Amino acid sequence: MHKFTLLIALVFCASLLGACAQFESKRGVEVNWQDTVTNELVNGTSTRKDVLTLLGPPSQVIALGGETALYYLFEHSEGEGLILIVYNRMRINTRYDRAIFFFDEHDTLTEFATRLYPADES
Amino acid sequence: MKVSTTRILYLLLTCWLLTGCSQWRYDMGVPISSNNLPAQKTPLNEVLQLLGPPLRMSASDTGFIMAWEHWDIRENSIGITLGALGADFFSADWGEMRVKGEFLLMTFDHQHLLTSATHSDWDNDGGGGQAIQPFFSFISVVDVEDLIGPMPQHDWGSLLLQADLPSALNSGSNSDTGQEGLQQRATPKAVGQQSLEMD
Repeated sequence: MHKFTLLIALVFCASLLGACAQFESKRGVEVNWQDTVTNELVNGTSTRKDVLTLLGPPSQVIALGGETALYYLFEHSEGEGLILIVYNRMRINTRYDRAIFFFDEHDTLTEFATRLYPADES
Repeated sequence: MKVSTTRILYLLLTCWLLTGCSQWRYDMGVPISSNNLPAQKTPLNEVLQLLGPPLRMSASDTGFIMAWEHWDIRENSIGITLGALGADFFSADWGEMRVKGEFLLMTFDHQHLLTSATHSDWDNDGGGGQAIQPFFSFISVVDVEDLIGPMPQHDWGSLLLQADLPSALNSGSNSDTGQEGLQQRATPKAVGQQSLEMD
């Protein structure tokens, strides 16, 4: 019977060790809108062709009457988990890197803005 | 006395293996600074400098619409199952969900000047349930799928090439294309433009 107790205590201790998990998910277009890249763009001078050459195809093209907007999106999720069988905890953080560029009817850049989270800057 | 201790230990271990508690936390986006919403007629470039590019955008008859959002979803569940003992039947579950969020909507005219700005935030019970399922576990008592999905921009191209008929016929009114307005996460499909896509 002493062996039984020992076995149960052993199983109990082993399960307390638990497990942990870490994962990440990335989807969207390649992030090419770092400051070093967008510094080359000038409102009123740069064209849609310049933007497409630097950044590649966008996630979305929005027609605004005579104007156009190019929208770039990169979605980055990071998850961490603690798995102890009796108690499991998962935390998932999602951040959105994005850039938007407006062009007039002559395909000239009129305005743009970018947002990049530090983890995706490299 | 030794037998009694062993039995108690065995019973405790069995109960411990039968019960499980899970917590899921989803944090999507970053909190929106709503203390100083820009005034009407603020130029677009100042708004973008303040808030960054929007998360959702669409053309409108009078110009365009932009939206920023932040979601914090908490899902808690506790269940008893025989799975740990190798039996794939009988489970008793309880679960609940809490949803906190913020949404900032701005409209601009064709001159790129702000015409309106509205901000809302909420901290609500997102639902939940209890279930006793004697044979197989068919139902999840908490459903967060429609709240945590990816942004519609990822599917922009494929939206225009849908093959299934109700959706294809409605593609001109789809709110995910960026041309026909926008909608928040978890908007029921039975209302608005998407109701035309229902079979």
